[in-house]
Amino acid sequence: MSVYTMGIDVGSTASKCVIMRDGEEIVGKSLVAVGTGTSGPQRAIEGVLADANMAREDMDFVLATGYGRNSLEGLADMQMSELSCHARGATFLFPAVRTVIDIGGQDVKVIEIENGMMKNFVMNDKCAAGTGRFLDVMARVLEVNTHDLGDLGDRSTREVGISSTCTVFAESEVISQLAMGTDKCDIIAGIHRSVAARVVGLCHRVGVRDQVVMTGGVAQNHGIVRALQDQLQHDIHTSPLTQYNGALGAALFAFQKANKA
Amino acid sequence: MSIETMVREFAAVAADPKGQLKKYKEAGYKCIGVLPYYAPEELVHAAGMVPLGMWGSNKKTISKAKEYCATFYCTIAQLDLEMLLDGTCDLLDGVITPAICDTLRPMTQNIRVAMEGKLPTIFLAHPQYRRPEFGLEFCRAQYTHVKTELEKIRGSAITDDELRESIKVYNRSRAARRAFVKLASEHCDVIDPLMRSAVLKSAFFMRKEEHTEKLEALNAELKALPAAKWTGVKIVTSGIVVDSPALLKVLKDNKVAIAADDVAHESRGIRVDADETGDPMAALCKQFAEQDYDVLLYDEESSQNRRGEFVAKLVKDSGAQGLVLFMQQFCDPEEMEYPYLKKALDKHKIPFIKLGVDQQMRDFGQASTAIQAFVDVLAMQ
Repeated sequence: MSVYTMGIDVGSTASKCVIMRDGEEIVGKSLVAVGTGTSGPQRAIEGVLADANMAREDMDFVLATGYGRNSLEGLADMQMSELSCHARGATFLFPAVRTVIDIGGQDVKVIEIENGMMKNFVMNDKCAAGTGRFLDVMARVLEVNTHDLGDLGDRSTREVGISSTCTVFAESEVISQLAMGTDKCDIIAGIHRSVAARVVGLCHRVGVRDQVVMTGGVAQNHGIVRALQDQLQHDIHTSPLTQYNGALGAALFAFQKANKA
Repeated sequence: MSIETMVREFAAVAADPKGQLKKYKEAGYKCIGVLPYYAPEELVHAAGMVPLGMWGSNKKTISKAKEYCATFYCTIAQLDLEMLLDGTCDLLDGVITPAICDTLRPMTQNIRVAMEGKLPTIFLAHPQYRRPEFGLEFCRAQYTHVKTELEKIRGSAITDDELRESIKVYNRSRAARRAFVKLASEHCDVIDPLMRSAVLKSAFFMRKEEHTEKLEALNAELKALPAAKWTGVKIVTSGIVVDSPALLKVLKDNKVAIAADDVAHESRGIRVDADETGDPMAALCKQFAEQDYDVLLYDEESSQNRRGEFVAKLVKDSGAQGLVLFMQQFCDPEEMEYPYLKKALDKHKIPFIKLGVDQQMRDFGQASTAIQAFVDVLAMQ
């Protein structure tokens, strides 16, 4: 008989769920673009159950992770930190992974993996610099959609320096550039390099070893991925499941727990 | 009295320094605020007054102090000034302001200006070169200044006999606290991080005789307990102040026990005793000279990274599996020393994390994630 487990990743800006069969196959997934403190987690759970055509009672173990992991009392059987889950999810998708860069809504994490296990990690400070939130603020100032930043940055023809990764100061810098008539695409490419520089600093604190995998919502922005590759001088691997990586790791840990139970 | 009841009494004191100030004033004591670090509290005690430690606050918001402080002052210093300005410390009879770091140095003058005509402020500059004869001489001159100012508040001179008695009281207090730190680790199933902090913190708000008597009783109860069956992890804490109940609860919730600490507010200040015989002023100066392994103290042999090695050894000797550094925002000494600490911890393969903290933090989500992940790392090792 198959074992079904659910991983729920309640982030600061999105809620993601994955259902797995026997810790091997993804049978359902869902994503709601609002995170902790909203209806997002509940809607994501309903969404994943609908996607898998299953009920909560069919789940052998449910494990929550992410910033809002403690808010799911009664819905999840246990909770774990998203760092452990991202490490686990990335190892499932890329068995040779040694370094995970996860840029989420409000934090950046770099995880060193050894033999499929998290060995070391660093996180950014409280500051939102270099995170998804930073990109959201910049997109708002530039009057573009966050999801379009990657494509717009591709059209850049001139290098523009955004020196600061402080969200507040960078916003001022971007406004100054706009006032000077600088092309938005050039500014966006500058923002990508600026975020990458910040993340590279964190990467060097842990040490970068191949294979490098990027997870989290920001990994969908190919402009950031390319800027990171250029500055790190390492290939960076991503997956279409990048935003589900934390939930995937949670579902895998849930399978482990279900088997022990 | 049960251990729980004893600790609850310490916790009540730790949570209410203003109430303690009021209590001692009503009992007829003069009270002196003492800012960090290394102020010779023995002089205050010898004057028959109650020294009350001022290490910021986890409850207040910086408002009035902003008028005097640049943004990059650490919150501990700013909140001390805030408490002097907002009426919390109105019952004090004086305040000692050491100038041992680059934030506290200008803060001594901010406090002097802000308190002019309202509260005697006693300036104290420790010597950078604390061990050579000229350093000891400088220290004596400074301590004599503190003594003279306290004598003015008291209205009479502090005798050598009084000071020698106070040194004995403080040595006994330090010994009891050192013993408690060890017992708290040995019985971490009973003394969680919140309780440990409350016991150590309350020492700053109680007359030392009173605190020591209660602590020795607690230590005796702990000694009688069977060895702990601890299934969580053990760490060493490092930093200036680690007393936020919300942050300590994160440790407790993740089954993290504190095996030992390298925290200025806790063990760094109680490592060295003073001689109980001979010239008591010389004994206090010698005690400061013998302080060591602190980011705030100049190390003539810093190229040997003695402090980093000391902390690494502390982790190993205490049986901890790793270290959590609670980095105070805008604490230059801690931030500048961090690469050397990291170097030593890396050399000895000691896992550690650095968490940025300040006393105005109200959201501990990120710290909680980092601590939980660190526990996972330690458990996997």
